[in-house]
Order: sequence, then structure tokens, then C-alpha cells
Amino acid sequence: MARRSAAPPDDPAVRARFERDVLPLLPNLYGAALRLTRKPQDAEDLVQETFLRAYRGFGGFEEGTNLRAWMYRILTNTFINTYRKKQREPVTIQDDEVEDWYLYDRLGGSGVEASAESEVLNRIPDEDVQRALEDLPENFRMAVLLADVEGFSYKEIAEILDIPIGTVMSRLHRGRKALQQALWETVRERGLVRDQLP
Amino acid sequence: MSEINCLEALKQIELYLDGELHGVVRVQIEEHLGECGPCMDHSEFQRRLKEILRAKCGCDEVPSHLAERMRALFADPPPR
Repeated sequence: MARRSAAPPDDPAVRARFERDVLPLLPNLYGAALRLTRKPQDAEDLVQETFLRAYRGFGGFEEGTNLRAWMYRILTNTFINTYRKKQREPVTIQDDEVEDWYLYDRLGGSGVEASAESEVLNRIPDEDVQRALEDLPENFRMAVLLADVEGFSYKEIAEILDIPIGTVMSRLHRGRKALQQALWETVRERGLVRDQLP
Repeated sequence: MSEINCLEALKQIELYLDGELHGVVRVQIEEHLGECGPCMDHSEFQRRLKEILRAKCGCDEVPSHLAERMRALFADPPPR
């Protein structure tokens, strides 16, 4: 794949500022890229493309404004434009019937003592949590990633994804429910609780 | 005595844990959680779930060649 060279900011002070402020974001951006693309090679390409675009545009970036949100906007835009499945995803999640406390209720129903439900969560292997997130439809996945993994506010997420705040809340709510369903499956498959449901 | 009931509290737990509630409403939720064990359990579970996502989904190790390539972006252009 031909690599476009960055047109580096002419001013070495700007380059230094980029190295100082943006490079520390690499681990989190890489993790986000992995969750989005689900393939390490694609994640590397996505991160590299994101850095190149940020680097080229950094001269125009106003210092003191929200750099992290700006970087994640570039990341998600690049992901959507480059890696996202071209066809619209069919809405396959029938989540109207899914209760809000899906996972919590099921853990309780399988005999886990009240306030011990959280302890079961600790025992879910890392890869299974990552997979549960990665299996979410992309719209839900991006919202949950930005809110729960990266800690952005609703307002920041709305700006990053260029959607209304109401849509952020809806995708978060539905995405988290879908995630709970996936985690319940894992809990059962791993035998982390005895499934006492009939 | 808490001004809101469990149903109202649980409806807003997500917003509360996301740090999106402020002022009077936030205080009401906090007061209710302070008084109501079951709601506190629900809230703690949800909070723990968020924490697990943050801890387990954001800490992947960056391959060294990728880190190198990114750092090389800022290297001064080679002398002509």
C-alpha cells in the first residue's frame, strides 16, 4: 500500500507540540482502532492514517481546545470512510423485549447473592469482554467505546460522531443492553455461574 | 426521606453514572442510593460494568513497530 508522506507542519515548534500532546494518545487510539476494525493489521493502518491526517491538520488546530475529542473524531471518521461495511447494517437487534437490568437479573436468578453480581463480572476473561464489545453493531459499538472505554461526555460523543445528543443516549442505552446479553452468554458458556433457570 | 422512588431512580441511573446529571436531580439520586440497598446494588453493578469495559478494552499493548513508525513522523526531515 503506497504510503502518502505527511506534509509536516513547517514550524518545528508545532511538530514538537504534536509529539508532546498527540503521541501519548497512541495506546488508547490503538485500542479503539482494534475494537473498531477487529483486526490488528487494519487497526495499525487506521491508527497510522489517523495520525497522518491529524499531523497534516495540526497547524490549524487551536491549542487548548479538546484535543482528545478532535483525535477521536478523525479516528472514527477515517474508520467510517475506510473500513466500515459499505452496505447499511440491517437492524437485527430486537431489543424492545430486553429488560434494562438484563444481566443483573439473570445473575441474581442463577443464585448469585445480591452484591456478588459485580464479582462475577471480574471473572470474565479480558478477551471475552473485548469480543462482546466488538460484536456489537458499529453504531452501538462506537457509542459504548467512546463513553465507557474512553470516558467522553454525551456532548463530546455527539460532536465526535456528528449526531444529536438524543441519538447518543439511545445508542448507549441499546448498546449496553446488547452488551449485557453477550456477557450473559459468556458467563454461562464459561460456567461462571450455575444456570438454575429452567 | 428520599424525594424520589426506586422506579424514578433506576430510570436515571445510566445518566447518573455517566456524570450527566447535575444539581437537584443528582442530589436526589444520591440521596436515594444512600437510603436504598437494592437500588445501590443495581447502581454498583452498572458502575462496575463500565469500569470493566474501561479496564479491559482500552489497554492493548501497542506493537513496537507501530510506535516506532509514529515517532518517526516527527523526526526532522533528513538533510538533503
